[in-house]
Amino acid sequence: MNKLNFTEDQQDCLQEIINVAMGQASDQLARYLDTFVYLKVPSIEQVSSKYLSDTINSEAQSVAVVSQGFFGYEGIRGEALLMYQPKDSDRLADLLGYEPDELSVEEQIIDLSSILTTTFLNVFASQINNQMSYSAPRLLFSSNSENKTSSQSSISEHIEHQSFNWDVALKVKITYQVTDYSFNCDMVLLIPESAIINIAAVIDRILEEY
Amino acid sequence: MSLSVLICDDSNMARKQVLRILPEALADNVQLATNGAEALEVLNSQNIDVLFLDLTMPVVDGVGVLQGIKEAGITVKVFVISADIQPEMQTKVLDLGAKAFLRKPVQLDVLNSHLEQHGLL
Repeated sequence: MNKLNFTEDQQDCLQEIINVAMGQASDQLARYLDTFVYLKVPSIEQVSSKYLSDTINSEAQSVAVVSQGFFGYEGIRGEALLMYQPKDSDRLADLLGYEPDELSVEEQIIDLSSILTTTFLNVFASQINNQMSYSAPRLLFSSNSENKTSSQSSISEHIEHQSFNWDVALKVKITYQVTDYSFNCDMVLLIPESAIINIAAVIDRILEEY
Repeated sequence: MSLSVLICDDSNMARKQVLRILPEALADNVQLATNGAEALEVLNSQNIDVLFLDLTMPVVDGVGVLQGIKEAGITVKVFVISADIQPEMQTKVLDLGAKAFLRKPVQLDVLNSHLEQHGLL
């Protein structure tokens, strides 16, 4: 049996922990943008490394991705990828209320992603009695991006060079709809199998309380 | 006579979280709903005294339930328990008639304080 196949109860518990984390991340986003964020039920699925490569490679245009590593206790660690579609990343300046040339699009994407990732993971961690630290966020582009510069890694290269092996990742599909704009971003958590097993063990401890 | 309670949340764990901290006076006659449509069905067919309501749910969300309650003129004390903690959402549900907004995961002392404030403890 694949150790990453959660039971129905584990999936429900994980979904609820993610809901709470998403709620607080959205609240931070709403404060940052000084607007209201409509929340939808997030979908959570496990995706294979092949799926992720195929998804990234199938994009005809560039996809902006911000990657940030996270490290907690009990071997819980991984890499969070926030993936934006081009139509959304181009509108971020309007969304963030920056003046033209105030910040580059790249800096804006990193700003926004850092808020969403760290708020989400801090709340996620606190619910499983853990605490996260983070590496600096990095902006990546898909390998076929016309916007890529020599200093930017491609997503595929970056994923290949992770310090851990992973076969399955947790994909949390988040849709943030802001009052005057809407944009979608997928949060993909690349988590090594050992860490997912640890998360499942923590979830089991929580479930035992009920 | 014990009060009738309805807990509406799409998460089984979240429903249990509320159930396990309910005071005795509210724990005898509890029904569960997994989305807003189910909750409205119960509210339209039975007398429910207290509703614990999540907001972000499939089919009909919590705001839809509050609007349904208002339109149908149903009398029920609604306590919203949600992860959507934005101030604007809290104001919105209170304007729609909810007695209180409690953030998830709900804590025993917070729940009791709100229940006491509304004469349910």
